[in-house]
Amino acid sequence: MTTELHGADALDALNGLIAHTTTQGIPTLYAPRQGEITAGLFFRVGRADETLATSGITHLVEHLALHRLGLSDLHYNGATANTYTLFHVTGSEEEVVAYLNSVCAALRDLPLDRLETEKEILRTEAAGRGGADSQMPLWRYGAQGYGLAGYNELGTWSLTADQVRHWAETRFTRDNAVLWLTSDTVPAGLDLTLPAGTRIPAPTASGALPVMPAYIHGDDGHVYFNAVVRRSTAASVFADVLGRALFQDLRQEGGYSYSAEADYSPRDAEYATLTGYADALPKKQSAVVGGFVDTLARLRAGRIEQSELDSVRAKTLKMYDTPDLGAASLPSYALSLLLGHRILSPEQHRAELAAVTVADLREVAREAWASGLLQVPGRGADWAGFTLAPQYSASAVTGTRHQSLEDERITLVIGAEGVSLATPDGPVTVRYDACAAMTARPDGARSLTGLDGFAVTVEPTLFRGVTPERIVALDAAVPPAAVVRMPARDPEQIPQPRKRTSAPQRSGGGRSTWAWSLALCVAGTMAAVWGLLGAVAVADEMGAAEPEWDALIGIVLLELPLLFATWKLYKARKRRRG
Amino acid sequence: MSSSSSGRQPGASSGPSFDPYVNLPELVPLRTAAVSGDWTAVQAYFASLDSADKVTFVVGLVAETDGVENMLERAVAERPADPLPRTLLADRYVRIGWGIRGDARAKHVSSGQFDQFHDWLRRAERILIEVCAEQPSYAPAWTVRLITARGLSLGQAEARRRYERLSAHHPHHYAAQQQLLQQLCPKWGGSWDDAHGFARESAAAAPDGSHAGALVALAHLERWLDLDGSEAGAYMRGLPVRDDLRHAAQVSVLHPDYRPGWHGIGTHSAFAMAFSLGGHFEDAARHFAALGDRAAEFPWSYLSDPRGAFVKYRKSALATL
Repeated sequence: MTTELHGADALDALNGLIAHTTTQGIPTLYAPRQGEITAGLFFRVGRADETLATSGITHLVEHLALHRLGLSDLHYNGATANTYTLFHVTGSEEEVVAYLNSVCAALRDLPLDRLETEKEILRTEAAGRGGADSQMPLWRYGAQGYGLAGYNELGTWSLTADQVRHWAETRFTRDNAVLWLTSDTVPAGLDLTLPAGTRIPAPTASGALPVMPAYIHGDDGHVYFNAVVRRSTAASVFADVLGRALFQDLRQEGGYSYSAEADYSPRDAEYATLTGYADALPKKQSAVVGGFVDTLARLRAGRIEQSELDSVRAKTLKMYDTPDLGAASLPSYALSLLLGHRILSPEQHRAELAAVTVADLREVAREAWASGLLQVPGRGADWAGFTLAPQYSASAVTGTRHQSLEDERITLVIGAEGVSLATPDGPVTVRYDACAAMTARPDGARSLTGLDGFAVTVEPTLFRGVTPERIVALDAAVPPAAVVRMPARDPEQIPQPRKRTSAPQRSGGGRSTWAWSLALCVAGTMAAVWGLLGAVAVADEMGAAEPEWDALIGIVLLELPLLFATWKLYKARKRRRG
Repeated sequence: MSSSSSGRQPGASSGPSFDPYVNLPELVPLRTAAVSGDWTAVQAYFASLDSADKVTFVVGLVAETDGVENMLERAVAERPADPLPRTLLADRYVRIGWGIRGDARAKHVSSGQFDQFHDWLRRAERILIEVCAEQPSYAPAWTVRLITARGLSLGQAEARRRYERLSAHHPHHYAAQQQLLQQLCPKWGGSWDDAHGFARESAAAAPDGSHAGALVALAHLERWLDLDGSEAGAYMRGLPVRDDLRHAAQVSVLHPDYRPGWHGIGTHSAFAMAFSLGGHFEDAARHFAALGDRAAEFPWSYLSDPRGAFVKYRKSALATL
């Protein structure tokens, strides 16, 4: 029944706080707590393990594993993160046993007859996501690994039952799992039989930013900063210090922001993502960017009050005041074990906390700066030492040339090595050997996304001479694993070149509208897709026993700005065309 | 830029001196040190100053010295933690950049000029971000950051934030107030309400006899500069402007507590010029009397013949006595 426990030696540091064993080969941590039992089953697989073309496959497995529990009253859920998947439940011992057994039974034999339905549900779920900072992962990492968090789950269109089954068999294994329970014993009756496998380390991070600190342009009203720092007690203390510093400098001193905060979250065994955020009123926006830059600079300069450090330390130590400390810290110890991060006993952590100095925090601030990515509204942040993230590819491919039917200065190139969109400001290129995904419509439309995050869309109706033969050549060149087949579009959804209202005026300086066309196309598509999803969601909820009306209202409210943006862009483009 | 060829003695009938080193002879040792690249002497001169106002005033003078960046780059390399050489160097970079840009309105500046201008300003700004992070009460660095904010088009709110950070430590820092006033004018993205409002609020908030009242005169001069010929004259002749100027002068440069210091020539110049343009020569007279044969390049440089105008207006003003 028991196999060797991963990191068992490290767990000895927790003796007296947390007990450990193995359950059908799954490392198991447990500690008692009064009342109902909470249990969690972690797997070391998440979005960062997927590819863009298979994106969503982990989430699908999670949904399928929970499907049979659909109608029970139990308090349970599943979560798919970048580096892990968690099934968790709270209830009586019998309920917890029944839940965990059901999840593992489903993982052994997924209800794949549900696949198409769950794919559709995930496509609907995805439409509700995406905050104002959702672009940051793809700029930092590209369309792979940790960058996939910024993308839609493309795999929800095309994944096959075999792919999903294979994913479950290789990733949801007993050797790639950790179980934790708030209980003084491991309950009898657990049947967590899972296939043998290996513990798969979290993926190595890719990098899409050639120069850091970097910046990107983002929505009005928000300033985001994120950085990748080595995991340490000092780094997590620094996140709290950063949050307080932003709050003090931007809200209390200046009144430029309402919210100002920071966060520290482990990315993998070695690194954590540090995040800072401040909101801004439109008229205060430039001051929020400036204040943000200055706050980062003052922390880098080590101008941190000892009292700030002491307050954060005291707050952190308070977490040890909780009753049932062992039970409360189970999830974080289980995650450390899963990711292969060091296990620190409370005593060791207290000692490290006590040893953190202002100089340590300054070092973290400098490390954060060196890997920083800032998202700003308005004019950018080049003046503050940030470098604009690449907006164009380094080179273009050669091949057949297809002029845009909307703007003669734009040319699509379909070559033997990749595709490029040549624009007056630079090329955008996706090479086939570095293609993360290509979506394919029956009408011939293809959209290629490179591992670096650059994307080129081939709409045969919008470029001269994109014959079916050229599309066939494209399809033959892209690795089959990267191809995502999409359903047919309504004929109205297939874009047509916009007719010019008057003859082009060559002498008039040729004001460009291609960027407006592109923006219009993006906004229009988003509005249309969102509207469609909204309609699906409404229909879905109407049929539910307890419709989530607030969610529906949210969907409708979000549609309005999309429609508005589409209209504004249409007007702006029209104005530019004269 | 100071006109080093001037060298006229006060009292000479041919007109005033616009040269700060002639008008304020105590500055001469600083110029000598800066021109000869003697950092030790420059540093000693700064160490002898007893107010932040004076430090900021002479930072601007050193930064206008051609070629001084060589000495300053060496000084920064030798004393990387010292805010003074870094701030002087940053200010020097700003002047170099602005020299490339020129004083023309943006539409007359080429994109190549703008690129170089912005490059120099970014170099300056990065130095100053660090200086202000380490020494948040260091007035000269914040003052130069008001100039970089303007040149880099960082926006009204950011310029005000910088001024607020400075004024938290130095509530009535005249050199910085002059810089923010520029930003608040329509030519730099502000409005007349903002510009006049800031001038009046600063004058009202300052203790009697401080420089800030001159901001009221400068705001009216900016507006005059922006208006066309006949409208401009009518504006300055108007009684509301005259009364505004009178009140501002009474609480600042004409107040018994006023200590002119090094800014006095600039503040009296602002009032003398503003009253004269409106034909209020009896009001201008006291300011010309305070100036004698000394004048500040700013704001007189707003006139096509500063020296001729000064002489003509002074004659009219003194005739009213």
